[in-house]
Amino acid sequence: MSLPFLENYFLKKIDRPLFGAIIIILIIGLINLISANQQDITHTISQIINIIIGIGLLYLICYIQKKSILFFAPWAYLVSILLLFIVNFFGIESHGAQRWIDLGILNIQPSEFLKIALPLMLAWFYDKYSYRIDYKIHFMAGLLVILPFYLVLSQPDLGTSLLILWGGLIIIFLAGLSTKFITASFFGFLISSPFIWNSLLLYQKNRILSLIDPFSDPLGTGYHSIQSIIALGSGGFYGRGWLNGTQTKLDFLPETTTDFIFSVFSEEFGFFGVITVIAIYIFIFYRCIWMTSKMNDNFSRLLSAGLTFSLFTGFVINLGMISGLFPIVGTPLPFFSYGGTSMVVSLISIGIIMNLYINKSLIAN
Amino acid sequence: MDKYYIKFILGNRLRLIMYFFLIVFGLIIFRFFYIQILQNNYYLTRAFDNSIKIVPIAPTRGLIFDRNNIIIADNKLNYSLEIIPSQNENLSKVVDSLSKVVSISLRDIKKYKRILGNQEYDNSIPIKSSLTANELARFAINSYQFPNVELKESVKRFYPKGSLGVHFLGYINRISKKDLITIKNKERTKNYIGTDHIGKAGVELQYETELHGKSGFQQIEVNSIGVPIRTLKTYPAKEGSNIHLTIDLEMQKIAENAFKNKKGALIALDPKNGEILAYVSMPTYNPTLFIDGISHKNWDKLNNSSHKPLLDRAINGLYPPGSTIKPFVAIAALENKLRTPPFKINDPGYFSLNNSRRFRDWKIGGHGEVDIIKAIAVSCDTFFYGLAVELGIPKLNKSLTNFGFGIKTGVDLPNEKSGLLADAKWKKKRYNKKWYSGETAITGIGQGFTLVTPMQLALATSKIAFPNLSIVPHIRLNSRQLKQNNSTYSTKEISNQTIAWVKEGMENVTEDGGTAAFIGKNIKYKIAAKTGTAQVFGLKEGDIYDEEKIPDHLKDHALFIAYAPADEPKITVAIIVENGGHGGSTAGPIAKKIFDYYLANESPQ
Repeated sequence: MSLPFLENYFLKKIDRPLFGAIIIILIIGLINLISANQQDITHTISQIINIIIGIGLLYLICYIQKKSILFFAPWAYLVSILLLFIVNFFGIESHGAQRWIDLGILNIQPSEFLKIALPLMLAWFYDKYSYRIDYKIHFMAGLLVILPFYLVLSQPDLGTSLLILWGGLIIIFLAGLSTKFITASFFGFLISSPFIWNSLLLYQKNRILSLIDPFSDPLGTGYHSIQSIIALGSGGFYGRGWLNGTQTKLDFLPETTTDFIFSVFSEEFGFFGVITVIAIYIFIFYRCIWMTSKMNDNFSRLLSAGLTFSLFTGFVINLGMISGLFPIVGTPLPFFSYGGTSMVVSLISIGIIMNLYINKSLIAN
Repeated sequence: MDKYYIKFILGNRLRLIMYFFLIVFGLIIFRFFYIQILQNNYYLTRAFDNSIKIVPIAPTRGLIFDRNNIIIADNKLNYSLEIIPSQNENLSKVVDSLSKVVSISLRDIKKYKRILGNQEYDNSIPIKSSLTANELARFAINSYQFPNVELKESVKRFYPKGSLGVHFLGYINRISKKDLITIKNKERTKNYIGTDHIGKAGVELQYETELHGKSGFQQIEVNSIGVPIRTLKTYPAKEGSNIHLTIDLEMQKIAENAFKNKKGALIALDPKNGEILAYVSMPTYNPTLFIDGISHKNWDKLNNSSHKPLLDRAINGLYPPGSTIKPFVAIAALENKLRTPPFKINDPGYFSLNNSRRFRDWKIGGHGEVDIIKAIAVSCDTFFYGLAVELGIPKLNKSLTNFGFGIKTGVDLPNEKSGLLADAKWKKKRYNKKWYSGETAITGIGQGFTLVTPMQLALATSKIAFPNLSIVPHIRLNSRQLKQNNSTYSTKEISNQTIAWVKEGMENVTEDGGTAAFIGKNIKYKIAAKTGTAQVFGLKEGDIYDEEKIPDHLKDHALFIAYAPADEPKITVAIIVENGGHGGSTAGPIAKKIFDYYLANESPQ
């Protein structure tokens, strides 16, 4: 098997710079996962399986036709909503919220699927009504966002629900919601917020308060935030070395394989490692935006941009969270955190973006 | 709106959101730079503080031996059960379940709570200490039921000889708040980290610094719930040094037994070098009572006892010397060219001061013709009344000071008393009263105001044996740091003739006609001695002291000083038997037991 063969048949439709950068991140992530899981490689092995499944799906998606994506879009949304209903009634409880569905050998997290399904649905919706986009259409798009937002919120998972809301609003914004309306509703929200606040129940108020100020709960999420910052800070420039981070090794860091996986990396590889990895992420981000800008139709551009921003909102929130800039909302770092659903969803998103880029000239406006 | 318009807006807005994201990326990078580079040292320290626990290592206390390497203060293994407070928040539940295996008293729980209240970190605290062999076995079998209870092994002070020699040995006790301040003032706080005990009396207090040693510590890496992972660094403790004493424990035992139920004190010295061979203060008490803090009940019992067992009579007991002062008064006279043999007096049985007041001799009818040698041998009071009056207090006190009376002997034990040599100035200050010459007269026979400690008597007697040596009594074998004797107080100036006469007098004490003649019978060595009887209360003139009629606690103290063998002194003793009556008959036999043991062992003839 020669290299040209590989190039012609297997990498023909893959965007090589993007794919290469993602492979580098995945490898770094796997090395880091060994340390994050206290040198127990069982997580690493199942993460490799997750990656293989994810890359397989990415590869598959690159080869399907764009109209298939278009066709699947509303179904993906409907299935996700259905799954959210199921999880709310039959889901597995974890950390005080129901997020998983037990499928025997694997548990899936429907709220993660929304990161693809919602952009798909919104892009499909705007494409369908592209001949008459007005306030009514934007309003209906808004309803499409509010429904999963509300379902996830009632799990209850405030963090993820806000991420879904944010991802949806970005797409509506991209779709051309007038700046006047945005400004007006922003001020409207500001003015009405005291009334909304007063109408909330006490536990709801507390929930929002503890999200804004983690130190109001110093032994809970606040403790985690502090331990994460100590992990980062003790890393210094070169880090404390792979497998040598005391914050990780001695269990001071919480959730080392998922939400706080980058704290592990920061402690052991230092600012040097952090800058390197962030640079690769920024390259991936930039490449996705660049590819989006090369696309010719609104469906492709909306979907591609929606998926990109959704991925990188997760990235920003995760890094902001572990460095104490944002409250602890419990969101994984794409391509890095341990977790099948997140990994597969992230790789499928990249697959869709690659597909849309490859097929950019096939559907002309 | 058409598709192209949307496309235009989308392009613009895409760029807008991209810039927004890039700004946020920038913020995040800056945030990481700030935490990881600018605040690196701070957070590195925090990470260390998180994971590194300093665990003190208490030094093992030095052992105490007698001169023949017999152990007096030992350490023995002690097992205790400790729990970490955070892992056992429901204390009563833990205690309940533990009580099925070991007995946990209310006092144990109180102790636990006191330590818990004082400690800053979540260190393990003993809930039960000093497990018996049975309890240890029961816990060992059932230990699987108590995953959070740790069996700890430590060494604990142990006094194998019990109360024997407790007054020189002293004891250790828990470190009090007052001790902590003392330790802090001496800048020795670091040496005591992890230690609970400190010497409180006797040798345990005197040589505390050496016996205690210095604490070491371990840096231990712990995980987030405080479980030790590994030891990073160990700074070992400097163990306390062993101390060897001059005491001969066998002699000590003989001496203490010889006292039977009597109160009193005994010091046996090697007159050539000042080594303390026996150091008795009766009654004694058990030092073990103090090790883990004495209970109120026991303390009250010891402290309120009319027998005062806690009083170290050997260096803190102040007694009128009685007739044991006479050899020293004789030296003072002879050195001042008074009563030089063959000068004699004719003793009618009393001394008449200024032809007005009479001072009785102990022997009704008197001793007849008495020179200074006989005066010592028969303990003639009449002789010494007149002598003292003629000599005067200043000259007498000056000579007595040379023998160490009225000043501390410098023995290496804490809180020694200096005794008292009174004079007119002292009386004026103390009682605002004039000094009478009658008081001078009775000072000559050791009644008056004069007070001595048994240690002072033993030292002074040794100085008669060897006036040219300036010894300091000491209890530590091979002491290097002895207080230098003040050269102004020396017996070196005393003429050989003076010493020879006094020695002759003391030798005659154990001869026929002497006050302790029966002691000198049937022994292979010669004892030079002086008996003494110190009045506990003054008899009125004309009253006759009748031992039969007086209650025990008002009976006279019996005193006895001696050295032997007389021609080549190897041992000096000073004995006080409180309320023992006449010195020769109660204190003398005790001395003889000591001499028999020591001299028979030392030079079997």
